[in-house]
Amino acid sequence: MYAYDTFDHAMVNARVAEFRDQVERRMTGELTEEEFRPLRLMNGLYLQLHAYMLRVAIPYGTLSADQMRKLAHIARKYDKGYGHFTTRQNIQYNWPKLSETPDILQELADVEMHAVQTSGNCIRNVTTDQFAGATADEVADPRPYAELIRQWSSFHPEFSFLPRKFKIAITGAKTDRAAIKWHDIGLVVKENDEGEIGFEVLAGGGMGRTPVIAKTVRDFLPVQDLLSYLEAMLRVYNEQGRRDNKYKARIKILVEAMGVEEYARQVEAEWEKIRHIPIDVPEEEVARIKAFFAPPPLAVLADDVPAVDELAGKNFIFKAWLANNTGAHKVPGYANVTISLKPHGGIPGDASDEQMDLVADLADTYSQSEIRVSHEQNLILPHVAKKDLPELWQKLDEAGLGTPNAGLLTDIIACPGLDYCSLANTRSIPIAQTITERFDDMKRLMDIGPLKIKISGCINSCGHHHAGHIGILGVDRKGTENYQILLGGSGGEDASKAAILGPGFDEDGIVDAVEKVVAVYLGEREEGEEFLAAYRRLGPDTFKEAVYGAH
Amino acid sequence: MALINLTGIQPTEFEVLADDASPSEGATVAVPLARLLEAEEAFFKSAGSVGAIIDTETSYDALAAVADKIAFAVIDFPAFGDGRGFSLAVRLRKDYAFKGEIRAVGPVIPDQALFLLRAGFDTVDAADERKAAFEAALERFPAFYQTDFGGQVSVAHTRHSAEGQRKAS
Repeated sequence: MYAYDTFDHAMVNARVAEFRDQVERRMTGELTEEEFRPLRLMNGLYLQLHAYMLRVAIPYGTLSADQMRKLAHIARKYDKGYGHFTTRQNIQYNWPKLSETPDILQELADVEMHAVQTSGNCIRNVTTDQFAGATADEVADPRPYAELIRQWSSFHPEFSFLPRKFKIAITGAKTDRAAIKWHDIGLVVKENDEGEIGFEVLAGGGMGRTPVIAKTVRDFLPVQDLLSYLEAMLRVYNEQGRRDNKYKARIKILVEAMGVEEYARQVEAEWEKIRHIPIDVPEEEVARIKAFFAPPPLAVLADDVPAVDELAGKNFIFKAWLANNTGAHKVPGYANVTISLKPHGGIPGDASDEQMDLVADLADTYSQSEIRVSHEQNLILPHVAKKDLPELWQKLDEAGLGTPNAGLLTDIIACPGLDYCSLANTRSIPIAQTITERFDDMKRLMDIGPLKIKISGCINSCGHHHAGHIGILGVDRKGTENYQILLGGSGGEDASKAAILGPGFDEDGIVDAVEKVVAVYLGEREEGEEFLAAYRRLGPDTFKEAVYGAH
Repeated sequence: MALINLTGIQPTEFEVLADDASPSEGATVAVPLARLLEAEEAFFKSAGSVGAIIDTETSYDALAAVADKIAFAVIDFPAFGDGRGFSLAVRLRKDYAFKGEIRAVGPVIPDQALFLLRAGFDTVDAADERKAAFEAALERFPAFYQTDFGGQVSVAHTRHSAEGQRKAS
């Protein structure tokens, strides 16, 4: 993991002091709410329906056991004993007091964490593959580059007042688990014919009311040019992105309006002018950062562990957990474990302070003290020896963290919705709860197989409904909550936009509609065909007929 | 109004030239960029010193025609969140090697002091009661993550210099 040096420490401490001063100036009235708003947002502090909400950055979703303990401590001391892990690999606290937020930030700074740029019209936390550095299917660990971008984008003098928020995601694997095509900038680590590492660069993806899948701006960008190229991309956007209408201010609108070729042409022209002035970091700095992400020294172990097979043979739940919640590690004899934060009937992404403390302890014992957060709102223990899986699973299961549903229908992404958010039209959490209760049958879920449901309580799409195999969008219809169903979206390397199937439903009707869609799939699927593939083959009409009846 | 001096430059004392007025001989005047783009050489010659008032709708390539004729630039922020003003200053320094004073006017706030300095601004027009807050904000950060056009070198470079290694250890 990356460790701060004196410079990084000085920077976050300066930020805490700055924010403390801003809060004081707001409380004395020296700063107006209008002036304070973007400042607090750049520190992740929102004003929600009932209270302030603080969003803490977990850079590229990697944290240590000690950092997790600090998150638990903050939940206990400053909040109501829980936190909410988000689709951008961050954590949100829903009940902090404004006057205490500087103290929370100081506690975070003490463990090398912060809330810098987790909101506001600036470059946000860079997200990546939750299995980065631990998966066999990657070209290179993307996290050193994410850390480079984190530093470069922090307190940027030119790009802190962009037309709109700006999200960058990076993956080092061919299987895209970071939804990079749905980001303002997506980066794919790749190797060229000469064996050099670089990036495919995409731009202009985004959700919201105008969903757009990112387009390729450059096929191969050498590593040493990363930051100068990003600077050129951001400069063209900062200058020309629309500022007259916040709904048309994201880079996706600019790229659509000028065309990706013209955007790429302008970026390349600007990049040619700046690529040789010292924006980029020296090679020694890249090497310094990379060294923090060196793979842990894992002794190769036997891949077949009789004790694991034995328990799987007599315990179906463990067998299901093994199948769904553990994945191949690049070192034989190890696995990456997904801790589901989606208990059936629970709130997607929530974890209590006790659960966070437990995960920290388990990380110390089983996963090199390392924890990841996935954009699917789960936690990951990487580098777990397979022989430890039975014991680990038992400890998780006792704490309500053993739900064996990773990647299945009940592993739902949901935004906070009207239970917390002041922008929401409808509630999202209760819909997720009802669906997971309706499908609370592991045998049935295993039979249905991989299926991603994503729920947003308004068109801002924080619940990624555009990228759901089944997406659910809450809308306000004459003062009542109404839920539309969308099918066929994907956040993966085969990214696609989900399409609305037909008229919306009330909160009971939407759950029935999901069940009908699943029934059509089960009836129509071919041997081994997953839901998304079946939908793409069948098209919407078969599903429409089942959900809305014959006309 | 107070003038906040970010860089220690000798600030320009100028008057904003009225729309239809001609500059008096030897005067120091600030003139909207649109008018300067139309102005003849004689206009620049008659005034002692000319500055451009640049609004944030301005495309940076419009600066090319005047960058070597003006002595100072006034970038007018319509709102403090309009980040185009920062890029305009960067463009003046970077693309046109502009060495004159760049002043920020409009509702910029003290918390932007370092961003303004680092984007290439020298001075800011601010309300009197904000002078202290501006000056405090300038002292806020001890180091920066970017090399900038105001002369700061990013910690990525400092870390690997002799001096940086002493500080980091």
